[in-house]
Amino acid sequence: MAAAAAFREGIRRVNHAPGLVAGMFAVTLLVSLPLAYALDTMIAAHLGSSLAAESLATGTNDDWWQEFSAQSSGLGTTFLPTISGFAAVLNNLSGFVDHAPLAATIVGVTAAWMVLWSFLSGGIIDRLARARRTRSHGFFGACGMHFWRLVRLGATAWIVYAILFRFVHRWIFSDAYSWLTRDLTEERLGFAIRLAGYAVFGVLLLACNIVFDYARIRIVVEDRRSAIAAVLAGARFVRRHAAGVLGLYGLNAVAFLLLIALYALVAPGAPRSGVSMWVALVLGELYIVGRHYVKLLFYASETAFFQGALAHAGYTAAPVPVWPDSPAAEMIANADRTVTS
Amino acid sequence: MFGRSTALVALLVASEAAIGGAPQAPSATPAVTAAAVAPRSPRNASYAITARLDPASRTISGNEIVTWRNTSTIAANALRFHLYYNAWRNTASTWMRERRLSGRAPEEKYQQSDWGWIDVTNLRIIGADGSGGDLTNQLRFIAPDDGNTADRTVAEVPLARAVGPGETVNVQIAWSAHVPRTFARTGAIGNFFFIAQWFPKIGVLENTGWNCHQFHLSTEFFADFGTYDVRLTLPRGWIVGATGIERDRRDEPDGTTTHHYYQDDVHDFAWTTSPDYVERHATFEHQSLPRADLRLLLQKEHAGQAERHFEAARAALKYYGEWFGPYPYGHLTIVDPAWQSAADGMEYPTLITAGTSWLQPPHTEDPEDVTVHEAGHQFWYGIVATNEFENAWMDEGINTFATARVMQERYAPTYTLTRYFGGFVPYLMRDFPRSREREGDRLGTYRTGAKGDAQSTPSWQYWPGTAGSITYDKTALWLHTLERMVGWEVLQRILSTYFMRFQFKHPKPQDFFDVANEVSGRDLTWFFDQVYRSSNVFDYGVDALRSDIDVIDGAIPAGVKTELRQASYRTQVIVRRYGEGIFPVDVRVVFENKEEVRWHWDGRDRWKRFEVEKPVRASFAQVDPEHVLLLDVRYTNNSLSMEPQSARAARKWSLAWLIWLQDHLLTYGFFV
Repeated sequence: MAAAAAFREGIRRVNHAPGLVAGMFAVTLLVSLPLAYALDTMIAAHLGSSLAAESLATGTNDDWWQEFSAQSSGLGTTFLPTISGFAAVLNNLSGFVDHAPLAATIVGVTAAWMVLWSFLSGGIIDRLARARRTRSHGFFGACGMHFWRLVRLGATAWIVYAILFRFVHRWIFSDAYSWLTRDLTEERLGFAIRLAGYAVFGVLLLACNIVFDYARIRIVVEDRRSAIAAVLAGARFVRRHAAGVLGLYGLNAVAFLLLIALYALVAPGAPRSGVSMWVALVLGELYIVGRHYVKLLFYASETAFFQGALAHAGYTAAPVPVWPDSPAAEMIANADRTVTS
Repeated sequence: MFGRSTALVALLVASEAAIGGAPQAPSATPAVTAAAVAPRSPRNASYAITARLDPASRTISGNEIVTWRNTSTIAANALRFHLYYNAWRNTASTWMRERRLSGRAPEEKYQQSDWGWIDVTNLRIIGADGSGGDLTNQLRFIAPDDGNTADRTVAEVPLARAVGPGETVNVQIAWSAHVPRTFARTGAIGNFFFIAQWFPKIGVLENTGWNCHQFHLSTEFFADFGTYDVRLTLPRGWIVGATGIERDRRDEPDGTTTHHYYQDDVHDFAWTTSPDYVERHATFEHQSLPRADLRLLLQKEHAGQAERHFEAARAALKYYGEWFGPYPYGHLTIVDPAWQSAADGMEYPTLITAGTSWLQPPHTEDPEDVTVHEAGHQFWYGIVATNEFENAWMDEGINTFATARVMQERYAPTYTLTRYFGGFVPYLMRDFPRSREREGDRLGTYRTGAKGDAQSTPSWQYWPGTAGSITYDKTALWLHTLERMVGWEVLQRILSTYFMRFQFKHPKPQDFFDVANEVSGRDLTWFFDQVYRSSNVFDYGVDALRSDIDVIDGAIPAGVKTELRQASYRTQVIVRRYGEGIFPVDVRVVFENKEEVRWHWDGRDRWKRFEVEKPVRASFAQVDPEHVLLLDVRYTNNSLSMEPQSARAARKWSLAWLIWLQDHLLTYGFFV
């Protein structure tokens, strides 16, 4: 299957799984809401019955914000003007690639969300691989069946990513970057070197990410039990189909960048009051839905690409607990939905 | 030995033979250097300097003749010199120790060639009678501030014969120095050299003795006024900027060029050179202020920002000129330092460094704010030459206040700029305009360091971590508070009177306070006691607001609607002084019919109750409703509303934060 075809197939599969998009959005929302509520309480407590709340309710109040920042700790330290509008996206992306430290509370919720997502990813990939509804018992059955394998894979990935961010990132952006720019007097050159650093680190990061993506897919689609073997199998697949894999990843990355660009155009700034506040919230949440869609698109298109490379296109090894009970039946059932290579 | 500074030429020739490459004439002989205008300053510490820079080895070999006149009432038995470059000789200097204390970057990052130092190789006293004494061997390092024997930033040389009041001494000093990788905004990176505090510089003799402090991390400099006649020999073709104006230049046979700079009535001399500068020129013109030539030495990548620099310099000269007094020098050189040079945002007489970025959208803080600030230092530091070691607030604080005012007058609105991806990519947040009080007067940083030190503590003794807050922020905030208290017209007259009275002098804090009392016609001592002589923090708040129906004719019978009765609301406001600082404040209550009642509270007691009876219910209460007291560290508690909107505000912003958190999770979703 060509990358473009897999990409189209991925779109088709995600489009036909709106419940999956909605469900994952709900999961992220539910994980986030308790902290948002905690922050709500902190803000309300700090404001008390102050008149500062009135200006803050209808617009911004930087004087209050600065005071709040100076006096808050923990979660409150994350509440900065940069959380509003498109700055939030830049803040997160920049923080990610620059390996900016996170508040302990944020680390905690991120870890919890990742474990939860890992649990659900077995069901998600299974659902996307089958390209048809698996019902909740099928979905969660797959989640449970693959969970510990994916946890082992996650632990392996964590070691690799930890090495990348803890050592390679530091080497590129502290040691090498400092050494290369030590006597530079032109900021433009410094920026170019930084971009080169991002490129080098990005290649390493994406290479690992792609291998782990296909390892994850092979665990689910081929019902693999060994995470290490899945990583090796994923690496073999990536090596043998390098052009297609990279092309597909590129298409997905473009989809991601288009979403970011679109949000940059429509993102409201700091929320106001009344209708405009709700419009800002809706736009923001639509963007978050879009992020989930793109995330699932990565899964779906890569799964389709992998399945397209198999002898039996659309093959999914792991049986749904009830039906079908035969991999061949599964393949036959999916045959008319799957683009073959 | 100690002459009256007349015929020195023979002696100079003799000393030139002794040291080699000596200056041609000391600047204390105005007949030779022919100042165009009458002296504005005492000119009691003048320098004739020749110096040669070797960029490859980053060394400066220099020779100077200091002509120093004792303007104090006591005799000088010894001379004291600053050798600032020795602050970066090793990690044992007081400057480096203080830097470690402040938690700044470790010096392990520095290579051997990054350190800087200055060695005096010859020191001679040149007498009018032809006698000359080589005192090199008698030079010793002293540490008057902290006794740190490893610190070599102050040297003392005993004199065989004391210099009496009104007498003059000529000292010839030869030295060599290694230019560091930039510390304290002086140093070099690549082909960029910014050279300041680079020559042996005599201290200030006051009636109580020498005022010649060691170099400290948080404070800057103090020196007497004089004439600087400086010849710098540099690689040919390199562009030079320096204090003063270039009188002439001469190409040397060895491929170098000697640039001759001259300036009267200044107390320091700094210079910069690089082959990579782009040079631009403009003028400042004003109907009632002296014209000034503006010269900008710009980095190539900032060439598009030249006019922004000029416009900011013009704004500073205009507003400072109109508010305080004229800029008298007729020229100003603005240096846009190289990236990573760490030389940005610094002032020297007639020479300043600004600072900007390659990607710097308009309507942001820089380069305008830094240019206004450093140009403003020509007034508050350059002309009114306060002791920055001991009273740093008198130049930095007053100038921070004035900068914020100029920025508001000339540039508002400007917006918050955030930078991403290693700090290279700017993002302008138009929903977050900068304010004079918050970003200009720096209320935010003051708040975190408010109790650091009493401002009256000698600045060099401030805790390094909060020295900036106390010096810059607190002063700007209390001056702005004073402006709101007495009005701008009065404060402007205070500042202009103080400026005109103490230009080309070394005023002390009491001089400023005396002028403030005199011009305002009020005794403001209580105010200065609070803001200057103590570290008290101000925090007033409304603790309670009750607006209840007073039952006049006994209890309200059950079932009777209160609206049917002739109701009278008793409104009670409890205001508190949570901080130690005392300041008179207004208390205001606004009622539901928009009517308001005000009281004035002297702010002394810990709390006070105010009461009023009205036929309507109170809507909200405020203490210090006009926010006169900008030093109040918690203004949120200054008001109480009967119908608080905190839940609505918190919901709105926590939902905005929710989107940020969701986006964050999905960004980290990359890993799963």
